[in-house]
Amino acid sequence: MSIRNRVGVRRALTLAVAAALVALPVGAAHAQSPAGLSVAADATPAPDTSASATTLRIATSGHVDSFNPFTSIYLLPTNLIRYMYENLVQNDQQDGSPTKGLADSWTTDDGGQKWTYTLQDGLTWSDGEPITSADVVYTYEQMLTVPALAVANGNLVSNFASVDAPDDKTVVITLKAPQAPNPGSEIPIVPKHVWEKIADRSTYANDSNVVGSGSFLIDSYSANQSITLKANPTFWRGAPKIDRLQYIYYTNSDAQVQALRAGEVDFVGSLTPTQFDALKGAPGITTHSGEGRRYASYSFNAGMKTRDGQSFGTGNPALADVKVRQAIRQGIDTKALLKNVLQDQGVPGTSFIPASFAKWTLPADDSVVKSYDPDAAKALLEADGWVAGADGIRVKDGNRLSLRLLVDASDVTEQSTAEYFVPWMKAIGIDIQVESTDDDTISTRSVKGDYDIYFTGWSVNPDPDYQLGINTCANLPTDVDGSGGTTQDGYCNPEFDKLYAQQRSELDEGKRQSIVHDMLAMNYEDAAQVVLWYANGLEAYRSDRFTNFSLQPEKDGIIANQAGYWGFLTVEPASGGDAGGGVNVGLIVVGVIVALAVILAIVIAVIRRRRAGDRE
Amino acid sequence: MSTTVPPTEAVILEEEGPESSPRGGSGWGYLGSKLGGAAISLVMVILLGFFAFKILPGDPVARIARERQMSAEQIAQLREQLGLDKPLLQQFWDYLGNVFTLNFGESYVYKTSVSSLIGQYFWNTILLTGTSAVIAIALGLWLGQRAGWRHGSMFDRVTSGISLVLWSVPTFWLALLLLMVFGGTLHWFPTGGMTSPDPPGGFADVLDVLSHMVLPVLTMVAVVYAQYVMVMRASVIEEMNADYITTARAKGLRDDLVRTRHVVPNALLPAVTLVFMHIGGLIAGAVTVEAVFSWPGLGKLTFEAISGPDLPLLQGTFVVFSAIIIVMNLLADLVYRQLDPRVRRS
Repeated sequence: MSIRNRVGVRRALTLAVAAALVALPVGAAHAQSPAGLSVAADATPAPDTSASATTLRIATSGHVDSFNPFTSIYLLPTNLIRYMYENLVQNDQQDGSPTKGLADSWTTDDGGQKWTYTLQDGLTWSDGEPITSADVVYTYEQMLTVPALAVANGNLVSNFASVDAPDDKTVVITLKAPQAPNPGSEIPIVPKHVWEKIADRSTYANDSNVVGSGSFLIDSYSANQSITLKANPTFWRGAPKIDRLQYIYYTNSDAQVQALRAGEVDFVGSLTPTQFDALKGAPGITTHSGEGRRYASYSFNAGMKTRDGQSFGTGNPALADVKVRQAIRQGIDTKALLKNVLQDQGVPGTSFIPASFAKWTLPADDSVVKSYDPDAAKALLEADGWVAGADGIRVKDGNRLSLRLLVDASDVTEQSTAEYFVPWMKAIGIDIQVESTDDDTISTRSVKGDYDIYFTGWSVNPDPDYQLGINTCANLPTDVDGSGGTTQDGYCNPEFDKLYAQQRSELDEGKRQSIVHDMLAMNYEDAAQVVLWYANGLEAYRSDRFTNFSLQPEKDGIIANQAGYWGFLTVEPASGGDAGGGVNVGLIVVGVIVALAVILAIVIAVIRRRRAGDRE
Repeated sequence: MSTTVPPTEAVILEEEGPESSPRGGSGWGYLGSKLGGAAISLVMVILLGFFAFKILPGDPVARIARERQMSAEQIAQLREQLGLDKPLLQQFWDYLGNVFTLNFGESYVYKTSVSSLIGQYFWNTILLTGTSAVIAIALGLWLGQRAGWRHGSMFDRVTSGISLVLWSVPTFWLALLLLMVFGGTLHWFPTGGMTSPDPPGGFADVLDVLSHMVLPVLTMVAVVYAQYVMVMRASVIEEMNADYITTARAKGLRDDLVRTRHVVPNALLPAVTLVFMHIGGLIAGAVTVEAVFSWPGLGKLTFEAISGPDLPLLQGTFVVFSAIIIVMNLLADLVYRQLDPRVRRS
């Protein structure tokens, strides 16, 4: 008994010593970082400390290839490049129309073949050097003469014949053929005096101490951890009201939501409707649902063909029949889908130009637009010779109306859409075989034409030219393996192509709008695809810390992922907002120390006991 | 004493067999055969690393091009830049030539060499998995021998029960749950990353990293420590029926001493092999935890490479993970031989 007691006493002593030992660092840590201080507010005595209040932290999971405006392709760096470098012409906040960028004004000659830009007065790069027409010419010429520098934006200069600078403030772009889309749009202009000193411009990462002309410039980048941008006080629209933008990496989107709740980030975008609903009403957080610039559709395989007319793929010939495609469209209740699948976070779709581009979209009340009407769909199929068989599925000339639908197994939206689609189709006599697979397989099979229907969509830019272009015959694949083209749905209609050429050189915007409208109406009636909806961008931010985010389009638009740089430009700290809600360092320290203390105490106790045993 | 030989050793003894005894008798022969086996495995992994990912569906260029409005010419240019326009056999030769100089090419996404990426992220993973492994092994073995010694007791039932429940829990789910409770709701620990975006500097940096480690380490420990508990428990129970235990007790040794001096050292033998074999798996198992906690390690790199698909990076991480497992298994063989004289004698 006495031995046991001795051991017990020793153990208690050991624990006390261990506790005393670990209490030391606790005190030290508290001295270093006062309790309640947030990690974001950090404990450095550097003057940057106060910046935390004006650092807008954004959660991201975006890929970064580089921040090189000539070669970067991914969405996140593309957005940041929009902040860093002003274009000759910017997409305005209201509806994305061309507006002042570096260029103050512009004129067109020769029916849109020659564009003359006059730069604004007194523009400077962030290092103080003046911005001149030489910078603009230099940028365009790099893309025109070095193929490796045309990877990102080559398609935007493919119509350029020459670029000249008659004087410091004038840029003249001469095109090969007239075009209506402003050629000064979407191309970031880089400072010649910086870039001409870079030896290998195509592999330059451009990820620190960037000299630029935009609102925020990259200061530092740590892959998969964070990207920090500093406000540019010389930005011509005026310095931003916050000091820094910081993108923080979260691989998992649910982790992003938790980080927002914990106050570790201030802004989260690309939320799912479920995440969005869960954040509604959370203290200090404001949710925002804005009209996006992406459409979602069921794309039909109406018989894939190459540019010179060779058929390929495994599409069911039934879909080559336009009546079948139109019937499918009339059999889909897009309003119900929107309500049930997207919880009404979106706008019902008509054609492939989203409703947020009000100038160009096909209006929902247009005469060609058909509403959900299963009876009309049945009648259409009946009149076309598709007769219902014993199982209710229609047959014509021995071909049973049974179609494969490719669905991404990991995408909840695609899955639930299919759950509504299948019974709706059955009701009008069409059998749908859902093939649930992965995203990469769908991508490969869609290129090869190995599908009947698949769920897809594109993000569209303010000028509709590109999206219309990939619906022309000229963008069909060149090879029977589906390569060599960028066609949207394999659509080819010579009448549509004629209108495409017309709109491309129509400088009168009103007339161009009417041509684009006719094109969309034609594509709608040809039913190359069924556009289901334009999903809203679902975003949430710490309104207890920041306020005054800007939307594009100005009314009902989105904050992040705009076709512009407006979202964070006007952001300012909320009154009374502080860095509160950050992680409590004190608690963390205590937690870690307690865990260590327990382990240490156990180890010491074990050793002591063993020694005690030795003595016996 | 021969009755105390555990079955695992008996199998090893049989494997060595009388025919191989002249060679098996020498330590070098044993080492040679194990090294040879490991080398063959590694070569197979390298070959597999190329073809396994090449036959995956998905065209990296098409995937990249989806992010942007590109023309067919731009896509062709991109394909050429990535070397994907070359015939498959040519790509394979390039890969082979590179891989033996530890060069896996350039990542499609990061645009830097895969070897340097792996070099950067490797130590982050080792920090996370190493810490988890040490804690899980210490905790598991300790609980295991305790539970085994008093098997059937309340302590045993509670310990085994809890560890088995945690073992059955999906890692992803547990990680998210911990993240939600301790990160999002209680704000005790950061919700992701390895450091704060603006590190505090000095000693506070260490605490910063520690605080970021708590939740991922907790998750990893929770889901793996059960296997050490179970092995150690079974091993102790087996030893307890041995004659030498009766002898030890007959000598009048205290119960605790019988356990720590006689049972545990013998019971540790099979456990050690398992520990080494599991360390490899633990490192590879970092993928899920790193993905949930945004830990900048090899696991997260792999996770993102799959969604690329960033083939060179995927091949690189695959070869590295496989190599770690092969090396750990090799070590298990060697250490086991070192620890147990009976294996050496055979």
